[in-house]
Order: sequence, then structure tokens, then C-alpha cells
Amino acid sequence: MKNKLILFLGLFLATSVGVFAQSDNISPARKQAIDSLALEKVKDLSKYISIIGSKETQFSEANRVMDRAEELFAPGAEMGVSSINSNDIAYYKVRRYFERLMALNYDRVNISWYDIQYISDLERQPDGRYVGVITIYQRFEGTSIETGMNYKDTTKKDITIYVEKKQTQIAGRTIEFWDVMLGDVRVTETSV
Amino acid sequence: MRIILLILAISFASISLVPGQGLGSPGSIKDDGRLAASTKQLNQFFRRFNAEESPSGEIRYYPGDSLYHNVALRQGFIQILFDNQTSSISKDLKTQFANTVLSNTYPQYINFHREGWISEVQAEFTYKGKREKVNLILKLQAEGLGFEWVIDAVSFEPFKKLFNKPVGEEKDFLHPLSHELGFMNLRRAFQDSKTPEAYTGTTFKPDYLTLFLYEMKLGNLRFQTVNDVRFHFFQIEGWYFEVNQFNRPGFNTGWLISNLVKLNPGDKETIQKYIYDQN
Repeated sequence: MKNKLILFLGLFLATSVGVFAQSDNISPARKQAIDSLALEKVKDLSKYISIIGSKETQFSEANRVMDRAEELFAPGAEMGVSSINSNDIAYYKVRRYFERLMALNYDRVNISWYDIQYISDLERQPDGRYVGVITIYQRFEGTSIETGMNYKDTTKKDITIYVEKKQTQIAGRTIEFWDVMLGDVRVTETSV
Repeated sequence: MRIILLILAISFASISLVPGQGLGSPGSIKDDGRLAASTKQLNQFFRRFNAEESPSGEIRYYPGDSLYHNVALRQGFIQILFDNQTSSISKDLKTQFANTVLSNTYPQYINFHREGWISEVQAEFTYKGKREKVNLILKLQAEGLGFEWVIDAVSFEPFKKLFNKPVGEEKDFLHPLSHELGFMNLRRAFQDSKTPEAYTGTTFKPDYLTLFLYEMKLGNLRFQTVNDVRFHFFQIEGWYFEVNQFNRPGFNTGWLISNLVKLNPGDKETIQKYIYDQN
């Protein structure tokens, strides 16, 4: 289903390729379509984070979801995490971040997301790819039955998106489409 | 003015009532307007300053849109772009600034790609095994098919201590007939002296960035973390302002103006020298 959706969006994005191929600028309409595609990936990531963090998820299932989540990211992507008490950023590879999330020592974990996000403009980088940032907010709640401890935090996640024009062959025709990959994520604890 | 703020406040508060803008799951948490009000990215600071998006940030305004650069919208945005809780910028100065940028005859905007804004990054490195603070100045430059942030300067205390050119009677020198002796007295400069910089010309300035990169290549400097990021803007004629990130409860949060200076002749250069730590 997801692959079909991506293919559909890819074709949708490819429909007026001739217009922007000349200038390589992204029109407002194109930007909106790319934003939707990027947001789909971010939604997938948030869903995967909720599954990985949940204590009801079986170990094997969590590992499978981690594989899926990792596929959303460009190679080498990192999570940079800081808390309210310390400005220091701790750096984790994406997989390591997910593993740490899975191993958190709570009996009950609830991860939910605020109904707000912010999508930046797309800027072109030296290699011709476009880069943007999507900001989302996550609420985490962990409960330890034994100690009665209840931990809550809200984190702001600034997620890099890389947007690249690619080509594929469908029925002998070359179709251009825009592909979106996630990159580094800055995770900041907020005092909402 | 109050009406504009009221409209913005209502806009932020009503965002929680708009369906379908969350991450899609039915159990998503409704924002009470605080996250909507927060200037969440520097990108949003630019858009708000110029009135290039709706109050909620969901709609991007482009040239030709009726609200693009709309004066009333900008006026409201600029009011909320100040740190109104901890900074001591007077109301009068803010009004003068707003009048300048909102001028009917010569409105001024900030531009992502134009020169006149820089980033100051406070980072931590280990230098020869000891943790040290480093201030990096970064600027945006065109490169290849797009743009990139590049390091323009570095301020690093151990280097500053290293170069201390003596003056007056304290200063050693090579006498003016040294050439007749085939500069045999260079031994004094390079072997005996603890301040060889005394033998350099009056225009000599150590290039800390080159030294910094050199030490990194030798493995003496290792990056640890970034502690703080702020931005300095000189794009508005006759004004300087600083933008910092405020992570605190309430509605006045995110990237906000924390310092505002009306520039007199010479002030810009003085502030730039201060930022670049060249005083």
C-alpha cells in the first residue's frame, strides 16, 4: 500500500517535469507536493518510533520495524539529543537511537505526537540536492510499576529531509520523480 | 496594535481546532497554541519577519499572494519576534525599529541568501586532552549548485594567549644592519626568544582559523559537542539585532530577537569586531 502511494506521488510529482527541468527551481505547487511526500515519511517515522518504544511490541517485531525505520534515512544519519539540564548534544546513529528507545527501563511507555508541525523552505545545496527541515513534537511517558516512577517529557524533533530528482523506467519510458530521504535529526527536550 | 496581537493570539489558539494537520494518528495531542506561537525554526523567523506565511505557519505566501509582505501581518509578527521576557530592549527602540522595517516608502526585509547575517556557534573541543570552549563564526556562501555554511573565523582562548607581541622597550628586534651580517642574529629570534612574534611586522595578525585547522589535522583538537547557536543580523540598514533560541514555557518562545542596537557611524564595525573577537 505504502509503495503504491509513493509510486503514485512520484508519478504525480513527475507530471510537469518539463517545466522545472529548465530552471531547476521548485515551484510553490511542486514544493507543496514534495512537502506532502516528506510528511508521509515523517509520519511513518513517528509511527515506527511509537511501535519501537511500546512495551507491548515483541522483540522480533521491534527489530523488523527498526529495519523499516532505518530505510527512511540516508546513510550515516545521526540523532543529536540534548536535555533541558544540559546543552551538550549526545550523538547516536539512527539504529543505536532506536535500540536505546527499545531498551528503556519502563514497564509502560506511551509515545504520542502533537497535532502541529512546521515545514521549512527547500534550499539547494552544492551537489544540487535540496534540503529542508520538518519540525514535530513528541510526548513521552514512561512508568515503572516497581518504583512507581512516572517520567514525562516533550521533545522537539527537527528532521532533515533531502529531496532529489531521480529517474526510473516504466514501460520503456523514462519518468523523472522527486525522492525524499530523511537525514540528521536534532532532538531537543522542551519545557512546554 | 493590540487588535493585531489579539488576531494573532486567536489564530494561534484556534489552530488546535483545525482537523487533519497532525501526524495523522487519532490520538495526537492538541496544541493549546503555544507550539503554534513558537518561532520553531530560523526559517520561520525569516518568514514571520517578512510576512511570508500565515500566523499558523501552515500556508506559505509567495509574491503575488494578497497577504505576501502584508504590513498589518508583519506588524503583528514583528511584535512577537522579540524576547519579551528576559531582554531589556526598550519599547521605544522596538517601535523605532518596527517603523523602519515597515516604512511605506522603503520597507526592509531580511533575506536568507543575502550577505549581512552570520551564525555564532559555541562548541566544545578537547585540545591536547583538555576540554576547551571554541567560538566559531559561520557564514552562508554560494557553492556549486547551491549554498553552504562555511567557517569564517574561530576564537580560541589558548591561541589568544599564545600570541602576545611585546611593545616598547620590552620588544626585541633585528637591528637595521642585520643584513650586513647575513642575518646571523635570526638565531636570537628563532632559538632564544620566547616571543618570536616580536620580530614580525606591524600589520602581523595571527590567523587563528589556519592554526585551528592545523591543530585538528595533527590530532590535537577533537570535536566534542555544540553548546549554543545564535545569529547576528546586519541586513536592516542602520540596525543590528541578535537572534537566540528561547526554550521555556509560554507563548514567547523559539527563535527571538534578544538584542537590538540602533547603529551610529562606526558602530557596525565595532560590533563586528566584538563578534569576531578582534578587539
